[in-house]
Amino acid sequence: MSFDLHRPATVTEAIDLAQRFAPTARYVAGGTDTVIQINRKKIDPAHLIDVACLPGLSEITETTDAFTLGALTKYRSVETHPAFRGDLRVLVEAASVVGGHQVRNIATIGGNIVNASPAADFVPPLLALDASLDITGPQGRRSVALRDFIVGPGRTNLSPAEIVTSIRFAKLPARSATAFLKEGRRRAMEISIVCVAACLTLEASTSRCASVRLAIGAASPTAFRPEQAEGYLIGKPAGKESFAEAGRLAAEACSPISDVRASAGYRRGLVAVMVERALTTCLQRIREQDQ
Amino acid sequence: MNRKILNIVVNGESHQVLIEPHWTLLQVLRNEIGMMGTKENCLEAECGVCTVLLDGKAINSCILLAAQVEGCSVTTIEGIGDPEHLHPLQEAFIECGAVQCGYCIPGMILTAKSFLDENPGCRPSRDEIREAIAGTLCRCTGYRKIIDAVATAADRIALSGAKQ
Repeated sequence: MSFDLHRPATVTEAIDLAQRFAPTARYVAGGTDTVIQINRKKIDPAHLIDVACLPGLSEITETTDAFTLGALTKYRSVETHPAFRGDLRVLVEAASVVGGHQVRNIATIGGNIVNASPAADFVPPLLALDASLDITGPQGRRSVALRDFIVGPGRTNLSPAEIVTSIRFAKLPARSATAFLKEGRRRAMEISIVCVAACLTLEASTSRCASVRLAIGAASPTAFRPEQAEGYLIGKPAGKESFAEAGRLAAEACSPISDVRASAGYRRGLVAVMVERALTTCLQRIREQDQ
Repeated sequence: MNRKILNIVVNGESHQVLIEPHWTLLQVLRNEIGMMGTKENCLEAECGVCTVLLDGKAINSCILLAAQVEGCSVTTIEGIGDPEHLHPLQEAFIECGAVQCGYCIPGMILTAKSFLDENPGCRPSRDEIREAIAGTLCRCTGYRKIIDAVATAADRIALSGAKQ
Protein backbone atom coordinates (compact mmCIF):
# COMPACT_ATOMS: atom_id res chain seq x y z
CA MET A 1 0.00 0.00 0.00
CA SER A 2 1.52 3.24 -1.09
CA PHE A 3 -0.07 6.25 -2.62
CA ASP A 4 0.25 9.99 -2.85
CA LEU A 5 -2.50 12.09 -1.31
CA HIS A 6 -3.38 15.31 -3.09
CA ARG A 7 -5.43 18.09 -1.52
CA PRO A 8 -6.92 20.32 -4.23
CA ALA A 9 -8.47 23.66 -3.25
CA THR A 10 -11.19 23.73 -5.91
CA VAL A 11 -13.31 21.32 -7.94
CA THR A 12 -11.44 22.36 -11.10
CA GLU A 13 -8.10 21.58 -9.47
CA ALA A 14 -9.44 18.20 -8.32
CA ILE A 15 -10.58 17.33 -11.85
CA ASP A 16 -7.19 18.39 -13.28
CA LEU A 17 -5.41 16.11 -10.81
CA ALA A 18 -7.74 13.21 -11.58
CA GLN A 19 -7.05 13.62 -15.30
CA ARG A 20 -3.31 13.96 -14.82
CA PHE A 21 -3.07 10.78 -12.72
CA ALA A 22 -5.73 8.71 -14.48
CA PRO A 23 -6.22 5.74 -14.39
CA THR A 24 -4.48 5.25 -11.06
CA ALA A 25 -6.24 8.13 -9.31
CA ARG A 26 -9.26 7.93 -7.07
CA TYR A 27 -11.25 10.54 -5.22
CA VAL A 28 -11.62 10.18 -1.47
CA ALA A 29 -14.02 12.10 0.77
CA GLY A 30 -14.74 10.79 4.29
CA GLY A 31 -12.69 7.70 3.45
CA THR A 32 -14.89 5.37 5.51
CA ASP A 33 -15.21 3.04 2.55
CA THR A 34 -12.10 3.86 0.50
CA VAL A 35 -9.58 3.36 3.30
CA ILE A 36 -11.12 0.01 4.28
CA GLN A 37 -11.02 -1.12 0.64
CA ILE A 38 -7.36 -0.12 0.40
CA ASN A 39 -6.57 -1.97 3.64
CA ARG A 40 -8.32 -5.07 2.32
CA LYS A 41 -6.28 -4.72 -0.91
CA LYS A 42 -9.45 -4.53 -2.98
CA ILE A 43 -8.23 -1.32 -4.58
CA ASP A 44 -4.72 -0.01 -4.96
CA PRO A 45 -4.78 3.60 -6.18
CA ALA A 46 -1.43 5.33 -6.69
CA HIS A 47 -3.04 8.75 -6.20
CA LEU A 48 -5.80 9.68 -3.81
CA ILE A 49 -7.41 13.05 -4.43
CA ASP A 50 -8.93 14.38 -1.24
CA VAL A 51 -12.18 16.17 -2.02
CA ALA A 52 -13.35 16.28 1.61
CA CYS A 53 -12.21 19.85 2.11
CA LEU A 54 -13.56 21.34 -1.13
CA PRO A 55 -15.50 24.46 -0.17
CA GLY A 56 -19.25 24.84 -0.61
CA LEU A 57 -20.14 21.18 -1.08
CA SER A 58 -21.33 20.40 2.46
CA GLU A 59 -24.40 22.60 2.66
CA ILE A 60 -28.07 21.69 2.76
CA THR A 61 -30.00 24.46 0.98
CA GLU A 62 -33.73 24.97 0.70
CA THR A 63 -35.54 26.94 -2.01
CA THR A 64 -39.30 27.43 -2.35
CA ASP A 65 -39.76 24.17 -4.22
CA ALA A 66 -36.64 22.05 -3.71
CA PHE A 67 -33.78 20.93 -1.49
CA THR A 68 -30.13 20.63 -2.52
CA LEU A 69 -27.69 18.55 -0.51
CA GLY A 70 -24.00 19.16 -1.16
CA ALA A 71 -22.30 15.88 -2.04
CA LEU A 72 -20.05 16.23 1.02
CA THR A 73 -23.02 16.51 3.40
CA LYS A 74 -22.47 14.18 6.35
CA TYR A 75 -25.15 11.69 7.40
CA ARG A 76 -25.27 13.28 10.83
CA SER A 77 -26.14 16.67 9.26
CA VAL A 78 -29.07 15.07 7.43
CA GLU A 79 -30.14 13.25 10.58
CA THR A 80 -30.25 16.39 12.69
CA HIS A 81 -31.64 18.78 10.05
CA PRO A 82 -34.90 20.37 11.25
CA ALA A 83 -36.43 20.54 7.74
CA PHE A 84 -36.39 16.76 7.42
CA ARG A 85 -38.55 15.97 10.45
CA GLY A 86 -41.87 16.21 8.59
CA ASP A 87 -42.83 14.72 5.24
CA LEU A 88 -39.16 14.09 4.36
CA ARG A 89 -38.55 11.89 7.39
CA VAL A 90 -37.34 9.09 5.08
CA LEU A 91 -33.99 10.93 4.90
CA VAL A 92 -33.55 11.02 8.68
CA GLU A 93 -34.66 7.42 9.06
CA ALA A 94 -32.15 6.21 6.47
CA ALA A 95 -29.27 8.45 7.58
CA SER A 96 -29.62 7.30 11.17
CA VAL A 97 -29.05 3.60 10.42
CA VAL A 98 -25.72 4.07 8.62
CA GLY A 99 -22.84 2.87 10.83
CA GLY A 100 -22.42 4.48 14.23
CA HIS A 101 -22.26 8.16 15.14
CA GLN A 102 -18.53 8.15 14.40
CA VAL A 103 -19.07 7.08 10.79
CA ARG A 104 -22.05 9.40 10.37
CA ASN A 105 -19.94 12.36 11.50
CA ILE A 106 -17.52 11.94 8.61
CA ALA A 107 -18.99 9.73 5.86
CA THR A 108 -20.59 11.69 3.02
CA ILE A 109 -23.83 11.01 1.18
CA GLY A 110 -22.07 11.64 -2.15
CA GLY A 111 -19.61 8.88 -1.26
CA ASN A 112 -22.44 6.47 -0.50
CA ILE A 113 -24.01 7.18 -3.90
CA VAL A 114 -20.87 6.87 -6.03
CA ASN A 115 -19.89 3.62 -4.27
CA ALA A 116 -23.10 2.21 -5.75
CA SER A 117 -23.33 -0.63 -3.26
CA PRO A 118 -26.57 -2.56 -3.86
CA ALA A 119 -27.15 -2.28 -0.09
CA ALA A 120 -26.38 1.45 0.27
CA ASP A 121 -28.95 2.68 2.77
CA PHE A 122 -29.16 6.26 1.56
CA VAL A 123 -29.88 5.46 -2.08
CA PRO A 124 -33.49 4.15 -1.75
CA PRO A 125 -34.77 7.30 0.02
CA LEU A 126 -33.25 9.48 -2.68
CA LEU A 127 -34.76 7.25 -5.39
CA ALA A 128 -38.13 7.55 -3.65
CA LEU A 129 -37.73 11.34 -3.76
CA ASP A 130 -36.81 11.11 -7.46
CA ALA A 131 -33.50 12.88 -6.80
CA SER A 132 -31.09 14.16 -9.45
CA LEU A 133 -27.34 14.53 -9.24
CA ASP A 134 -25.27 17.50 -10.36
CA ILE A 135 -21.95 16.41 -11.79
CA THR A 136 -18.89 18.42 -12.81
CA GLY A 137 -16.18 17.00 -15.05
CA PRO A 138 -13.59 17.83 -17.70
CA GLN A 139 -16.44 18.47 -20.18
CA GLY A 140 -18.31 20.81 -17.85
CA ARG A 141 -21.48 20.29 -15.87
CA ARG A 142 -24.38 17.93 -16.31
CA SER A 143 -27.32 16.58 -14.35
CA VAL A 144 -28.60 13.03 -14.26
CA ALA A 145 -31.48 11.34 -12.49
CA LEU A 146 -30.21 9.09 -9.69
CA ARG A 147 -32.16 6.15 -11.15
CA ASP A 148 -30.11 6.44 -14.37
CA PHE A 149 -26.85 7.02 -12.51
CA ILE A 150 -26.33 3.68 -10.78
CA VAL A 151 -25.97 1.03 -13.49
CA GLY A 152 -24.75 -2.03 -11.60
CA PRO A 153 -23.17 -3.20 -8.35
CA GLY A 154 -20.34 -0.72 -7.77
CA ARG A 155 -20.90 0.81 -11.22
CA THR A 156 -22.20 4.28 -12.08
CA ASN A 157 -22.36 6.33 -15.25
CA LEU A 158 -19.63 8.70 -14.00
CA SER A 159 -16.97 9.36 -16.63
CA PRO A 160 -13.33 9.43 -15.53
CA ALA A 161 -12.48 12.50 -13.42
CA GLU A 162 -16.12 13.53 -12.96
CA ILE A 163 -17.27 14.57 -9.48
CA VAL A 164 -20.78 14.49 -8.05
CA THR A 165 -21.22 17.94 -6.49
CA SER A 166 -24.80 17.90 -5.23
CA ILE A 167 -28.06 16.00 -4.96
CA ARG A 168 -31.41 17.73 -5.63
CA PHE A 169 -35.02 16.77 -5.11
CA ALA A 170 -38.35 18.60 -5.25
CA LYS A 171 -40.42 19.28 -2.16
CA LEU A 172 -43.47 17.08 -1.80
CA PRO A 173 -47.06 18.19 -2.46
CA ALA A 174 -49.62 18.41 0.35
CA ARG A 175 -50.90 15.11 1.79
CA SER A 176 -47.56 13.37 1.25
CA ALA A 177 -45.46 11.30 3.61
CA THR A 178 -42.35 9.15 3.41
CA ALA A 179 -40.91 6.23 5.37
CA PHE A 180 -37.77 4.08 5.43
CA LEU A 181 -37.51 0.56 6.80
CA LYS A 182 -34.41 -1.56 7.17
CA GLU A 183 -33.99 -5.18 8.16
CA GLY A 184 -30.66 -6.55 9.30
CA ARG A 185 -29.52 -9.27 11.67
CA ARG A 186 -29.05 -6.72 14.45
CA ARG A 187 -30.33 -3.19 15.04
CA ALA A 188 -27.17 -1.15 14.57
CA MET A 189 -23.88 -1.26 12.67
CA GLU A 190 -25.39 -3.55 10.09
CA ILE A 191 -25.49 -3.99 6.34
CA SER A 192 -29.11 -4.24 5.17
CA ILE A 193 -30.66 -7.57 4.26
CA VAL A 194 -33.37 -5.48 2.62
CA CYS A 195 -34.25 -1.82 2.93
CA VAL A 196 -37.33 -0.05 1.56
CA ALA A 197 -38.17 3.61 1.08
CA ALA A 198 -41.68 4.83 0.25
CA CYS A 199 -43.14 8.17 -0.73
CA LEU A 200 -46.94 8.35 -0.86
CA THR A 201 -49.22 11.24 -1.88
CA LEU A 202 -52.99 11.02 -1.50
CA GLU A 203 -55.58 12.83 -3.62
CA ALA A 204 -56.67 16.19 -2.20
CA SER A 205 -59.92 15.08 -0.60
CA THR A 206 -60.08 11.29 -0.89
CA SER A 207 -58.02 8.42 0.45
CA ARG A 208 -56.98 7.33 -3.03
CA CYS A 209 -53.29 7.21 -3.99
CA ALA A 210 -52.34 10.14 -6.24
CA SER A 211 -48.63 9.39 -6.49
CA VAL A 212 -46.45 6.57 -5.20
CA ARG A 213 -42.71 6.09 -5.39
CA LEU A 214 -41.11 2.99 -3.89
CA ALA A 215 -37.43 2.07 -3.78
CA ILE A 216 -35.90 -1.20 -2.68
CA GLY A 217 -32.30 -1.78 -1.64
CA ALA A 218 -30.23 -4.96 -1.23
CA ALA A 219 -32.70 -7.10 -3.18
CA SER A 220 -31.35 -6.60 -6.73
CA PRO A 221 -28.00 -5.73 -8.36
CA THR A 222 -28.89 -2.08 -7.78
CA ALA A 223 -31.44 -0.33 -5.63
CA PHE A 224 -34.49 0.03 -7.89
CA ARG A 225 -38.06 1.34 -8.21
CA PRO A 226 -40.70 -1.39 -8.68
CA GLU A 227 -42.70 0.44 -11.33
CA GLN A 228 -45.50 -2.13 -11.60
CA ALA A 229 -46.22 -1.87 -7.90
CA GLU A 230 -46.14 1.94 -8.10
CA GLY A 231 -48.42 2.04 -11.15
CA TYR A 232 -50.86 -0.45 -9.63
CA LEU A 233 -51.52 1.84 -6.66
CA ILE A 234 -52.39 4.99 -8.63
CA GLY A 235 -56.09 5.76 -8.11
CA LYS A 236 -56.54 2.82 -5.71
CA PRO A 237 -57.84 3.40 -2.18
CA ALA A 238 -54.88 3.51 0.21
CA GLY A 239 -55.12 0.65 2.69
CA LYS A 240 -54.19 -2.85 3.68
CA GLU A 241 -55.52 -4.58 0.59
CA SER A 242 -53.90 -2.37 -2.04
CA PHE A 243 -50.64 -2.07 -0.07
CA ALA A 244 -50.38 -5.88 0.25
CA GLU A 245 -50.84 -6.25 -3.51
CA ALA A 246 -48.16 -3.58 -4.11
CA GLY A 247 -45.85 -5.55 -1.82
CA ARG A 248 -46.53 -8.73 -3.81
CA LEU A 249 -45.78 -6.93 -7.11
CA ALA A 250 -42.59 -5.43 -5.69
CA ALA A 251 -41.41 -8.85 -4.50
CA GLU A 252 -42.01 -10.21 -8.01
CA ALA A 253 -39.94 -7.41 -9.50
CA CYS A 254 -36.81 -7.90 -7.39
CA SER A 255 -33.97 -10.31 -8.14
CA PRO A 256 -32.26 -10.99 -4.83
CA ILE A 257 -29.20 -13.14 -4.21
CA SER A 258 -28.53 -15.64 -1.44
CA ASP A 259 -25.50 -14.66 0.60
CA VAL A 260 -24.09 -14.84 4.12
CA ARG A 261 -26.82 -12.47 5.38
CA ALA A 262 -29.98 -14.07 3.98
CA SER A 263 -31.37 -16.35 1.30
CA ALA A 264 -32.95 -14.98 -1.86
CA GLY A 265 -36.32 -16.39 -0.78
CA TYR A 266 -36.15 -14.67 2.58
CA ARG A 267 -35.23 -11.39 0.93
CA ARG A 268 -38.17 -11.68 -1.46
CA GLY A 269 -40.51 -12.35 1.45
CA LEU A 270 -39.12 -9.35 3.29
CA VAL A 271 -39.68 -7.08 0.28
CA ALA A 272 -43.41 -7.93 0.20
CA VAL A 273 -43.87 -7.32 3.91
CA MET A 274 -41.68 -4.23 4.14
CA VAL A 275 -43.26 -2.49 1.13
CA GLU A 276 -46.68 -3.00 2.72
CA ARG A 277 -45.44 -1.73 6.11
CA ALA A 278 -43.65 1.28 4.63
CA LEU A 279 -46.81 2.31 2.77
CA THR A 280 -48.91 1.77 5.91
CA THR A 281 -46.51 4.01 7.84
CA CYS A 282 -46.83 6.70 5.14
CA LEU A 283 -50.62 6.50 5.34
CA GLN A 284 -50.53 6.83 9.13
CA ARG A 285 -48.30 9.86 8.83
CA ILE A 286 -50.59 11.54 6.28
CA ARG A 287 -53.55 10.94 8.60
CA GLU A 288 -51.63 12.52 11.48
CA GLN A 289 -50.92 15.58 9.28
CA ASP A 290 -54.59 15.75 8.25
CA GLN A 291 -55.71 16.06 11.85
CA MET B 1 9.88 7.91 1.59
CA ASN B 2 7.27 10.37 0.66
CA ARG B 3 6.81 12.11 3.97
CA LYS B 4 4.98 15.36 4.38
CA ILE B 5 4.53 17.66 7.35
CA LEU B 6 1.21 17.44 9.15
CA ASN B 7 0.14 20.32 11.37
CA ILE B 8 -2.30 19.13 13.96
CA VAL B 9 -3.57 20.36 17.33
CA VAL B 10 -3.93 17.54 19.84
CA ASN B 11 -5.54 18.31 23.19
CA GLY B 12 -4.83 22.01 22.70
CA GLU B 13 -1.17 21.56 21.83
CA SER B 14 0.19 22.18 18.31
CA HIS B 15 2.22 19.42 16.74
CA GLN B 16 4.21 19.14 13.51
CA VAL B 17 4.66 15.54 12.47
CA LEU B 18 6.36 14.02 9.42
CA ILE B 19 3.86 11.53 8.08
CA GLU B 20 3.49 9.08 5.21
CA PRO B 21 0.36 9.45 3.08
CA HIS B 22 -1.14 6.12 4.16
CA TRP B 23 -0.79 6.67 7.90
CA THR B 24 -4.06 6.94 9.75
CA LEU B 25 -4.83 9.44 12.47
CA LEU B 26 -4.73 6.52 14.94
CA GLN B 27 -1.16 5.66 13.92
CA VAL B 28 -0.08 9.29 14.26
CA LEU B 29 -1.70 9.69 17.68
CA ARG B 30 -0.22 6.50 19.12
CA ASN B 31 3.12 6.11 17.34
CA GLU B 32 4.16 9.71 16.73
CA ILE B 33 2.50 11.75 19.48
CA GLY B 34 2.34 9.06 22.16
CA MET B 35 -1.35 9.33 23.05
CA MET B 36 -1.80 5.69 24.01
CA GLY B 37 -5.30 6.16 25.43
CA THR B 38 -6.65 5.88 21.88
CA LYS B 39 -6.95 2.13 21.29
CA GLU B 40 -6.45 -0.02 18.22
CA ASN B 41 -8.58 -3.01 17.38
CA CYS B 42 -10.71 -3.73 14.31
CA LEU B 43 -9.22 -1.13 11.95
CA GLU B 44 -12.53 -1.07 10.01
CA ALA B 45 -14.68 1.42 11.98
CA GLU B 46 -16.73 -1.45 13.40
CA CYS B 47 -15.80 -1.33 17.09
CA GLY B 48 -15.18 2.29 18.07
CA VAL B 49 -12.25 1.83 20.48
CA CYS B 50 -10.20 4.24 18.35
CA THR B 51 -12.76 7.05 18.71
CA VAL B 52 -11.39 10.58 19.13
CA LEU B 53 -13.01 13.98 18.69
CA LEU B 54 -12.18 15.74 15.43
CA ASP B 55 -13.12 19.40 15.80
CA GLY B 56 -15.43 18.26 18.60
CA LYS B 57 -17.13 15.37 16.83
CA ALA B 58 -16.56 11.66 17.44
CA ILE B 59 -14.90 9.85 14.54
CA ASN B 60 -13.07 6.55 14.05
CA SER B 61 -9.37 7.43 13.91
CA CYS B 62 -8.45 3.97 12.55
CA ILE B 63 -9.71 4.64 9.01
CA LEU B 64 -9.11 8.38 8.76
CA LEU B 65 -6.01 9.28 6.77
CA ALA B 66 -3.93 11.63 8.89
CA ALA B 67 -3.11 13.79 5.87
CA GLN B 68 -6.82 14.66 5.63
CA VAL B 69 -6.86 16.34 9.05
CA GLU B 70 -4.25 19.01 8.30
CA GLY B 71 -4.94 22.00 10.54
CA CYS B 72 -7.66 20.24 12.52
CA SER B 73 -8.06 19.96 16.25
CA VAL B 74 -8.18 16.52 17.86
CA THR B 75 -9.21 15.62 21.40
CA THR B 76 -8.19 12.27 22.89
CA ILE B 77 -9.13 10.76 26.25
CA GLU B 78 -5.98 12.38 27.70
CA GLY B 79 -7.41 15.79 26.77
CA ILE B 80 -10.71 15.82 28.62
CA GLY B 81 -9.56 15.45 32.22
CA ASP B 82 -6.76 14.27 34.51
CA PRO B 83 -6.76 12.31 37.78
CA GLU B 84 -7.18 15.52 39.79
CA HIS B 85 -9.78 17.07 37.49
CA LEU B 86 -11.95 14.35 36.04
CA HIS B 87 -14.51 15.10 33.36
CA PRO B 88 -18.08 14.44 34.61
CA LEU B 89 -18.24 11.44 32.26
CA GLN B 90 -15.04 9.98 33.71
CA GLU B 91 -16.34 10.60 37.23
CA ALA B 92 -19.65 8.90 36.45
CA PHE B 93 -17.98 5.90 34.77
CA ILE B 94 -15.96 5.30 37.97
CA GLU B 95 -18.92 5.83 40.31
CA CYS B 96 -21.24 3.58 38.34
CA GLY B 97 -18.66 0.81 38.02
CA ALA B 98 -18.96 1.07 34.24
CA VAL B 99 -15.39 -0.06 33.59
CA GLN B 100 -14.61 -3.77 33.27
CA CYS B 101 -11.55 -4.60 31.15
CA GLY B 102 -11.36 -0.94 30.21
CA TYR B 103 -10.29 -1.31 26.60
CA CYS B 104 -13.40 0.34 25.10
CA ILE B 105 -13.74 3.02 27.76
CA PRO B 106 -11.72 5.86 26.17
CA GLY B 107 -13.72 5.43 22.96
CA MET B 108 -16.94 5.02 24.90
CA ILE B 109 -16.42 8.23 26.89
CA LEU B 110 -15.51 10.25 23.81
CA THR B 111 -18.48 8.83 21.85
CA ALA B 112 -20.74 9.89 24.73
CA LYS B 113 -19.08 13.31 25.01
CA SER B 114 -19.61 14.03 21.31
CA PHE B 115 -23.29 13.11 21.66
CA LEU B 116 -23.87 15.15 24.85
CA ASP B 117 -22.03 18.16 23.36
CA GLU B 118 -24.36 18.06 20.33
CA ASN B 119 -27.35 18.85 22.53
CA PRO B 120 -26.18 20.93 25.47
CA GLY B 121 -28.32 20.51 28.56
CA CYS B 122 -30.22 17.51 27.20
CA ARG B 123 -31.12 14.57 29.40
CA PRO B 124 -31.23 11.72 26.91
CA SER B 125 -33.38 8.64 27.48
CA ARG B 126 -31.72 5.25 27.88
CA ASP B 127 -32.77 4.38 24.31
CA GLU B 128 -31.20 7.57 22.99
CA ILE B 129 -27.95 6.77 24.83
CA ARG B 130 -28.04 3.22 23.50
CA GLU B 131 -28.41 4.55 19.97
CA ALA B 132 -25.66 7.14 20.48
CA ILE B 133 -23.08 4.57 21.61
CA ALA B 134 -24.10 1.90 19.08
CA GLY B 135 -20.84 2.44 17.16
CA THR B 136 -18.69 1.59 20.19
CA LEU B 137 -18.59 -2.02 21.29
CA CYS B 138 -17.88 -3.31 24.80
CA ARG B 139 -16.70 -6.90 24.47
CA CYS B 140 -17.30 -7.36 28.22
CA THR B 141 -20.92 -6.46 27.31
CA GLY B 142 -21.20 -4.18 30.33
CA TYR B 143 -23.61 -1.85 28.60
CA ARG B 144 -26.10 -1.42 31.45
CA LYS B 145 -23.61 0.35 33.70
CA ILE B 146 -22.13 2.26 30.80
CA ILE B 147 -25.60 3.62 30.04
CA ASP B 148 -26.10 4.37 33.77
CA ALA B 149 -22.85 6.34 33.71
CA VAL B 150 -23.71 8.36 30.59
CA ALA B 151 -27.17 9.17 32.03
CA THR B 152 -25.64 10.22 35.37
CA ALA B 153 -23.09 12.45 33.65
CA ALA B 154 -25.75 13.97 31.39
CA ASP B 155 -27.89 14.84 34.44
CA ARG B 156 -24.95 16.48 36.22
CA ILE B 157 -23.83 18.41 33.15
CA ALA B 158 -27.42 19.63 32.57
CA LEU B 159 -27.73 20.64 36.21
CA SER B 160 -24.42 22.55 36.32
CA GLY B 161 -25.33 24.22 33.01
CA ALA B 162 -28.68 25.32 34.48
CA LYS B 163 -26.93 26.80 37.54
CA GLN B 164 -24.52 28.89 35.46
